[in-house]
Amino acid sequence: MTRRQKAIAFFVALCVLLVAGAISLNIGWIVITAERARLRVLVFGIITFGLIIAGLIVYTVFLVLEIRRNEEHDTFINAVTHELKTPIASIRLYLETLQSRTLNDDQRRGFYDVMLADTERLHRTVDHVLKAGMTSQKPKVIARAPVDMSALARECVELALARHHLQSDAIVLESHDEGPLMVRGDAEELRTVVTNLLDNAVKYSADVVRVTVAVAAPSPDAVWVRVHDRGVGIPRKQLKRIFRRFYRVQVRGFKQVKGTGLGLYIVRSIARAHGGRVFAQSEGEGRGATFTLELPRLVA
Amino acid sequence: MSRILVVEDEQHIAEGLRFNLEAEGHEVTVVTDGEQTLASILDNHQSFDVVVLDVMLPGRDGFAVASALRSAGQFVPILMLTARGRPDDVLRGFEAGADDYLPKPFELAILIARINGLLRRRRWNETPFDSAHGKHPAGAPATRDVYSFRDRTLDFTAMEVQARGKSYRLTQMECDLLRYLVTHAGQPVSRGALLENVWGLHEETDTRAIDNFIVRLRKYLEDRPDSPRFLQTVRGVGYKFVPDGK
Repeated sequence: MTRRQKAIAFFVALCVLLVAGAISLNIGWIVITAERARLRVLVFGIITFGLIIAGLIVYTVFLVLEIRRNEEHDTFINAVTHELKTPIASIRLYLETLQSRTLNDDQRRGFYDVMLADTERLHRTVDHVLKAGMTSQKPKVIARAPVDMSALARECVELALARHHLQSDAIVLESHDEGPLMVRGDAEELRTVVTNLLDNAVKYSADVVRVTVAVAAPSPDAVWVRVHDRGVGIPRKQLKRIFRRFYRVQVRGFKQVKGTGLGLYIVRSIARAHGGRVFAQSEGEGRGATFTLELPRLVA
Repeated sequence: MSRILVVEDEQHIAEGLRFNLEAEGHEVTVVTDGEQTLASILDNHQSFDVVVLDVMLPGRDGFAVASALRSAGQFVPILMLTARGRPDDVLRGFEAGADDYLPKPFELAILIARINGLLRRRRWNETPFDSAHGKHPAGAPATRDVYSFRDRTLDFTAMEVQARGKSYRLTQMECDLLRYLVTHAGQPVSRGALLENVWGLHEETDTRAIDNFIVRLRKYLEDRPDSPRFLQTVRGVGYKFVPDGK
């Protein structure tokens, strides 16, 4: 049990005790005043005790939520520290190696590639943190232009394959409907959404990456982008929570994947800003997950 | 040539370390998680001269790996490497049994110097003491740093304690802490002073971390660790080493 779990248990127990005390006082009050048959005093007492009990419960609920938020915040700081310092450590190590050792051209080029990849990782982390910071402030005005989701998804799949050094059959794009599927929105933001979903699908795949992406129109006025993986899956209880800021999915027996806990939060914020939504489905642990992005379709 | 085990799940850093340590003439093995580390050292009995251990590992973290190795009686020198460089984390690392600690991002030259330091110390410990010539053959210090009291012998060079007919290996931190207390024998030493002078930590740190070390040292030295005679608690201050046990 961590310190915070202990604190939560303590406050919940305290609340139960106080509520029990208030209830017994309330019953005592009813018994005493009922004997004297003074209705007005009786009702006043019952309402007052009711308010005290409600207050206690509300107070405890908020306290527990605040403790949990604090905990998530700490995990986030740790994760971000790690995500920022690791690529910096790596870049520095390679720079110092280049500086202090004699290398041949191949080694040199190899080191440059590693440093570029680390710079890219650093950039992604900084981007995530900044985006999450911006979306949590106020719904910003998004540039709206017609965007073809089929083309956008294809582009994202190619990028993801290249970035994760995967064979072309690791991420397969299925298009059910002919022709472009248009939505109105900010192409850059929507690319972030699809990329985040693809990155997660790859990260949470166990050993073999097999991801399918489908772009479809389930109804005349909606467009779906579905990302399905055969990875570790999501326990039913966490299907909604995973979109919360800083939340990291916990699957038993599976090693914690590194990240900041911001990806899906950003995905949800952008989907909402576009008048759409995003939801997750999973058969449970070890059985893969499907993420669906639903956006209002732009009908020409 | 020394054998070094690098435990690091970040592939880039692991390969960078391998390249540099091999360039220094060491034999390097890289593993990516805690289970593999324990398997290769405890189950397969591979021997290493130094372990470079990352803290944030998937599954079992570096702290857990270090304590598992120490409680299995493995005293291979451990250099911890981590992005978490707060004093509390540093202390936790030493408590788990690390011999040295380096926060990421680190300087390559410093890392190599620290590894060489650990290797040098290990060589001193392994070389038998040549009493006829009064010195170690391999450039080791000429005098051994040994202190005896009440049938107990503290060998700070070999990092060993002989007490009550048994011999115990000390980690670097236990050794440094004990040496500090012994050099201040008879005087009460505050926890803050220990943190500052033994660990070099100046910031606000949970000073109770020291207490866990004292508990361990008492197990080595005291007949009855719950009523200590040599490593006494000075209420409200810290600790005092009393050689004659009164």
